[in-house]
Amino acid sequence: MKIIVCVKQVPENDSVKIDPKTNDMVRTGAQGVMNPFDRNAIETALELKEKNGGQVILLIMGPDSFTEVLRDGLAMGADSAYLLSSKEFGGADTLATAYTLVAGIKKIGKPDVILFGRQSEDADTGQVGPIVAEDLNIPQATFATKVETISATTLEVDRDLESSIQKVEIKLPAEITVRSEINFPRYETPINIVKSFDKPLTIWNEKDLNVDPDKIGKKGSQTIVTKVYAPKKETKQVKFLSKKAGDAAKTIINELDL
Amino acid sequence: MGNQEIWVYVEINNLMVEPTSFQLITKAKQIANGRKVVALIAEPKMSHLESDIKEYGPDEIRILRDERFRGANDEELADALFQVVKRNTPNAIIFPATVRGRSVAPRLQAKLQTGLTADCLDIYYDGDNLVQVKPTYGDGVMCNIICPDKRPQMVTVRPNIFEAKVDRTIKPKIQAAEFEFHEDARSEVEAEEPVDHTSTDLTNAKVIIALGRGAYSEKNVELARQLAEKLGGKVGVSRPLTDKPEFTHSDQIGQSGTTVSPDLLINLGISGAVQYTVGVEKAKKVISVNTNRDAPIFDLSDYGYVGDAGAFLEAMLGNLE
Ligand SMILES: Cc1cc2nc3c(=O)[nH]c(=O)nc-3n(C[C@H](O)[C@H](O)[C@H](O)COP(=O)(O)OP(=O)(O)OC[C@H]3O[C@@H](n4cnc5c(N)ncnc54)[C@H](O)[C@@H]3O)c2cc1C
Ligand SMILES: Nc1ncnc2c1ncn2[C@@H]1O[C@H](COP(=O)(O)O)[C@@H](O)[C@H]1O
Repeated sequence: MKIIVCVKQVPENDSVKIDPKTNDMVRTGAQGVMNPFDRNAIETALELKEKNGGQVILLIMGPDSFTEVLRDGLAMGADSAYLLSSKEFGGADTLATAYTLVAGIKKIGKPDVILFGRQSEDADTGQVGPIVAEDLNIPQATFATKVETISATTLEVDRDLESSIQKVEIKLPAEITVRSEINFPRYETPINIVKSFDKPLTIWNEKDLNVDPDKIGKKGSQTIVTKVYAPKKETKQVKFLSKKAGDAAKTIINELDL
Repeated sequence: MGNQEIWVYVEINNLMVEPTSFQLITKAKQIANGRKVVALIAEPKMSHLESDIKEYGPDEIRILRDERFRGANDEELADALFQVVKRNTPNAIIFPATVRGRSVAPRLQAKLQTGLTADCLDIYYDGDNLVQVKPTYGDGVMCNIICPDKRPQMVTVRPNIFEAKVDRTIKPKIQAAEFEFHEDARSEVEAEEPVDHTSTDLTNAKVIIALGRGAYSEKNVELARQLAEKLGGKVGVSRPLTDKPEFTHSDQIGQSGTTVSPDLLINLGISGAVQYTVGVEKAKKVISVNTNRDAPIFDLSDYGYVGDAGAFLEAMLGNLE
């Protein structure tokens, strides 16, 4: 089974804030980590490989610094990795990102399964997976909580639709996005970390991919961000209660008529 | 570039209309400014959910009817919707940002090669552009997004941000949409089991006792449940507690959980991270309990108790008797 996992690097939790005075984005903390949901996607891929044989290939679009995240994924056990990196890819929205990833997928050679995290923690759209599936004209199973092998050409996927659980039988090639509930991603072992440096990591730019320059990066994006700002928070005038729990409770019960 | 219609995709869940769709019909009417609001539904033959939709007064209900929509996959739905959109390009299409909405909308977007903004918290028109307000980096940063050059403008909107309002002053025109159902056998829905959320339906709870990391203990969970029962409410949690045996993701309040709007919310041991607070902005009276007087949660509280969550719970239970 040839499995491609699309991963992304995101800022660490809560490390991006807006300065309320200047409205500038302020970044604190580490440069970036692997999007947590994508670890679940890699784990799913590794388990599929353990069951069915084959290879796990990582794919990312982003700046050269994103190789770090690819090394992480290789240290988890993926076999090889591709980085699509170019100034021209910058400023891409989901449509342009998916277009570029599809070009990468086609050049790598058509996989049986393409895995995604359910969404990225920064952009938080969850759209890239379904757009890639549509562009490649393959079926999808999103928000998966379970993936089982039925045969070399069929998987059974549980989708958590929130008010129901759907069981889907899906023919390969197919695209799957996974929820964090699906598994516990394995840790990188010291041996695998050492090995990861010998695994192939290929970098392609827009020329290697032979893409339409009007469909990548900012140019290929239909959406424009017009404003970035701190969310307006309504603050209330808090009334602090007595430190004595009993008195505090009585006040509330009286004033709110509970 | 498209006509002047706003289409709202009406989602069906367990053979009922998913409530977000009603909220979006009301919102679309509020921002329409003369544009026609069309509710779009893909339903099986006998379900006739248009009678429910009518109550909310869209200008028109357009129905894609085919028995095979029962158990249709994302590909079939996107294909059917695409045929209808292509025939009559609307100005905007609004989807609920539910799992289904977030799965079908991007496939339709890709077919149309237009923009789609996910999980909006607000939408409004600026001229002909739909301004799409979306959080990013977990709700800590907001951005406004537009799609100036393509129609339809597409968005998914977070559930329970807007209120659905019944409007019987409008008698919607009901129309059949022209399309052909193309079966796609590459993925088959084999079964769909409703999940019972009745024990934790936070969305409509009038009273919520919310537990955070600072209040967690087996005993406090028990006390919180007793208090919830006494006040006729439910227990909800912040994200860290969804890892505890007593709770699951469906108990979570906040950006990646449920948006709630109770009359009374009691926060216990919750710091007030924005990812939590966006989920409780609609709460009417808020009481917060925290050992740290500077905890941000107090900024959105009517009453504050600086002290231990367990002691507060016991005092409440003791005094309510
Ligand atoms: C993309 C993303 C999405 C997220 N979505 C959500 C979401 O939907 N919902 C959510 O809740 N979080 C979400 N989070 C996590 C969020 O950022 C916070 O980490 C989380 O809300 C913190 O939970 P907490 O307040 O319970 O815990 P903490 O921040 O650890 O706060 C514990 C509080 O308890 C107080 N305390 C300690 N002891 C006591 C005591 N004995 N009695 C009373 N008070 C005490 C402390 O002073 C402190 O203020 C998300 C994060 C990201 C990045
Ligand atoms: N730049 C990227 N490179 C590779 N994969 C990506 C990229 N952006 C998003 N993805 C994948 O798409 C998923 C959904 O991301 P998003 O649509 O941004 O929420 C992520 O979990 C990744 O699997």
